[in-house]
Amino acid sequence: MRESFTAVLERNRTLAGEFATEPYEAAWAAEARWFVRTLERTGTGTRMRVTTQVSPDGLHWCDLDAEREVAGDLASWESSGFGGWLRLKGTVEGGPDAGAEAAAKVMIYLALKS
Amino acid sequence: MTEPASERSLAAELRRADPALSRFNPLDRILVHDDFNTGTHGWIELLGNYDGHGNLDTVDDHMRDFRPPQLSSCNFFDVGTHGAMSGTYALKVATRPLAGHTGVAIRRLTMAGRGRVQFEAYLTFKTEAASEENQAAGKAGAGPWDANLHPSEQQFGAFTIATDICDGVRYHCVARYLNTDVENGLRREWVYPTVPEPTPREHFEGKIKLPPTADFTAPDPGDWKPFGGPQELCYNEVPTKVNWHYVRWVIDTSTRSNVELQVNDTVHDMRDVPVPPYDEEYGSLQNLLNFYVSVRTHTDVRNFLYLDSVLISVDW
Repeated sequence: MRESFTAVLERNRTLAGEFATEPYEAAWAAEARWFVRTLERTGTGTRMRVTTQVSPDGLHWCDLDAEREVAGDLASWESSGFGGWLRLKGTVEGGPDAGAEAAAKVMIYLALKS
Repeated sequence: MTEPASERSLAAELRRADPALSRFNPLDRILVHDDFNTGTHGWIELLGNYDGHGNLDTVDDHMRDFRPPQLSSCNFFDVGTHGAMSGTYALKVATRPLAGHTGVAIRRLTMAGRGRVQFEAYLTFKTEAASEENQAAGKAGAGPWDANLHPSEQQFGAFTIATDICDGVRYHCVARYLNTDVENGLRREWVYPTVPEPTPREHFEGKIKLPPTADFTAPDPGDWKPFGGPQELCYNEVPTKVNWHYVRWVIDTSTRSNVELQVNDTVHDMRDVPVPPYDEEYGSLQNLLNFYVSVRTHTDVRNFLYLDSVLISVDW
């Protein structure tokens, strides 16, 4: 039987501006899939963009792949070749005419499998 | 606890012959033996209760963010993968880099009897190493380095092993290693709470509302009292060396009491350490037997508790 674990890295958390999820150890896993549930968006034209990052040590981070936009209620993508650590960095920003209130309340899941 | 082979039972002999079990001293019946090379074994983040709609806004502020446990290879910037005591992986509970933040992993069982219950583990505790991003070297608790004591040791707050038990009466047996006080001064002693843990129902009833970084086990530092005398553990100088400590903690559910806590070569008599019960009754919890471990930082630096392996045994 393969091992698996779904980590809830952010739960019902309101993100605004720049953010990064807490470092998560994933060396045991051969597969990794992200799910971002957006529970609520506030502000006009609010957009959430994220980049998957990897690290040799949980302290120093670089991009694994290109930035992507998280649209809709549930977005998902796979990460591969990630080594021992994973996190998401990203931004939640409003459109050109938006005020400072742009925010997104999200659940961020990392589904890992050996 | 060493006795001649001629006086040991066949069961004890078989356990002793198994390297994974011979490092433990189980009571008669083993309920749980968790080796984290084979998954998380039911250890999961504690989360406060929520309403019938699944609306997580109804979770108490101080019980929203206890962080998911990690299967850790004990991987560090300087030496790479340290590995665990058994194989490569340990269960890691991590805080956020926020003073007062607590990480909690819980394991949920029920009781098929009453009597002695023993929690054993090989564990260790570390502070996150400093980096440009986390700026740990400049956070509260940091200080000079003398090539022996490392400033990161003063940035580790506390770890706790505890229970949540209900036999009609609900109570928590709790033992906490208080490495530093909230001013980041070294304490290095075991403490226990003199009050029961605040519950979501008490918040619901308007009796208490706690902020996000409140100490959920007992919020007032004045409600923690020392027992057993000071005990220095083996942090081992820097934040990237992992030395495993043997912990054996015995409680008695027939008397709702603590018995003793062994940590490496020291046994702390806990028979006089009180266990405060709740005055009120709680439903839905009959025979509840939960164990949790928590780690709490007293500065804006991540703190980690690692469990190599856990064994829970009973005498019923």
